[in-house]
Amino acid sequence: MNQPQAHAKPGPLQKHHFLIRRLHSLTGIVPIGVFLIAHLVTNSSLAWGKWGLRTEGRGYSVAEGGIKYFQKEVAWINTQVPHLLLIEITLWVSIAFHSILGFYYATTGKGNLPRYPHQDNWRYSLQRWSGYIGILFIFYHVATLRWGWTFLVPEGTKWSHDFSASTLAAALQGSPEGWTAAGIGISLFYFVGVSLLVFHFANGLWTAAITWGLTVSEKAQKQWGVACLGLGLGLMVAAWASLGGALLIDYDEAKGIESKLIVEKYGEDRLEELLDAAPAEPERPDEQAMADD
Amino acid sequence: MSDAYAHLHDAEQRRQNRKNAVPGRQVIIKIKRCDGPGKPSRWESFKVKTEAGSNVISCLKSIAANPVTTDGKQSTPVVWDSGCLEEVCGACTMVINGRVRQSCSCLIDEYAPREGDTLTLEPMSKFPVIRDLWVDRERMFHALKRVQAWVPIDGTYNLGAGPKESPEQQQTRYDLSECMTCGCCLEACPQFNLEEDEQAWDTAFIGAQAISQARLFNEHETGKRLKGERLDTLMGAGGVSDCGNAQNCVKVCPKGIPLTESIAAVGRSTTIHAVTRFFRGK
Repeated sequence: MNQPQAHAKPGPLQKHHFLIRRLHSLTGIVPIGVFLIAHLVTNSSLAWGKWGLRTEGRGYSVAEGGIKYFQKEVAWINTQVPHLLLIEITLWVSIAFHSILGFYYATTGKGNLPRYPHQDNWRYSLQRWSGYIGILFIFYHVATLRWGWTFLVPEGTKWSHDFSASTLAAALQGSPEGWTAAGIGISLFYFVGVSLLVFHFANGLWTAAITWGLTVSEKAQKQWGVACLGLGLGLMVAAWASLGGALLIDYDEAKGIESKLIVEKYGEDRLEELLDAAPAEPERPDEQAMADD
Repeated sequence: MSDAYAHLHDAEQRRQNRKNAVPGRQVIIKIKRCDGPGKPSRWESFKVKTEAGSNVISCLKSIAANPVTTDGKQSTPVVWDSGCLEEVCGACTMVINGRVRQSCSCLIDEYAPREGDTLTLEPMSKFPVIRDLWVDRERMFHALKRVQAWVPIDGTYNLGAGPKESPEQQQTRYDLSECMTCGCCLEACPQFNLEEDEQAWDTAFIGAQAISQARLFNEHETGKRLKGERLDTLMGAGGVSDCGNAQNCVKVCPKGIPLTESIAAVGRSTTIHAVTRFFRGK
């Protein structure tokens, strides 16, 4: 019974146990949670862009207004936000830290839902499963749309921040021509992944208040729970609006709108340049016909 | 059943069962048995005739008087631990129909109200089994020593009267003081696991019981003196931050102790303690 290893020096994980645990909690909120809010608000403009406070989408149809607004937002982030790479690296490091430790922490527990099927216990288990599936989703999402791992995308569509809505639609629907079987699979994965991540954030925000000792009494925990539920539902609506917007986009219509925006801002030459630089799209009969003319 | 127990699982269903229980019926008691530490476990069922007010303990006693299983095999009396028989010592805690609770206060009428109903008994799974339903709860007492769950008044001279406590403080602490170290909160906790090796006790999750007791003595005017040391222990590996917020502990606590509030209160204390310690440099 008396194993000598107990006298071994505690490793860094044990020595800084408290600090690392609290950093794990903190990174989930800042920067990851804050980024999640900003990301979903921006993306859901595909659905509400027509009514946006910036007037890019005013006076157009819901679809066209959304695409215009979204494209302007994406362009703004890519050209106006300072230190974009630094922000991205901070996010990637935080997500790696939060997910690797979170995975390790989750393996120290053994769920017991069948015996104790309470609502809180459900959320305990769901928090862990949403973490596992959520990190797979984030990896796929970032690798394909940000890092350009097009071999993981059906028909290899590469996301472009100049043609943000059309290339997003093609990547999700499976092809520039519209829905394919693979596209349905990818879109379902997006639906599950993003929903689980919104839950993970809202529930994590609730437990963080207990972890840090903000909500001590049962009543305070309940009240904060209602607040987190409200935030979670709001973000869920934003997430589904983003996804719904992307899934309903017509590739050709979106590409036309985006092309016009580029011409308005930079002129015809820039558009030619971008179209030439874009990876060859699969041959399409109508384009073939236009080229022949 | 008082209001304090209203939160317990299926309280209303059990109240109904008690009302409708068939007098003089026979019930099956199915028991997970084990001959000793490290030995394999097996299931045995016994038929028991109930009386008015039968509880698990009285059924185990009648099995001991005639330990013959339902398939006619001669067996041995079932071993279990018990002390007070009035739900204040915690010794007879076991898993009954899949849920942890004290067996002395477990009325058969509430769990097996009809002829031939089955009641399942298992030892707690988070503590080493000594034999049958008897487990070794030493780890909980070890945890109380780790968090110094006492008021430090030992010395060579009379310290005189202690500082005064407000009635509100007394009220909060009274609820916490009802803990009887039964182990229900730990059995139901998904973050608290069986550790046969004593050396692992100091780094595996300590659980709600010791965290709540640390709070009890941290909030005592004299017990406070050890607060920093208690928090240091609870900030280490297996401390309060290993809690996963499943909140099963508070739902199975037979004394209705606000364990999740204790976990949050200790969380708050450790936050303050860590910041203070960082800027004070020790």
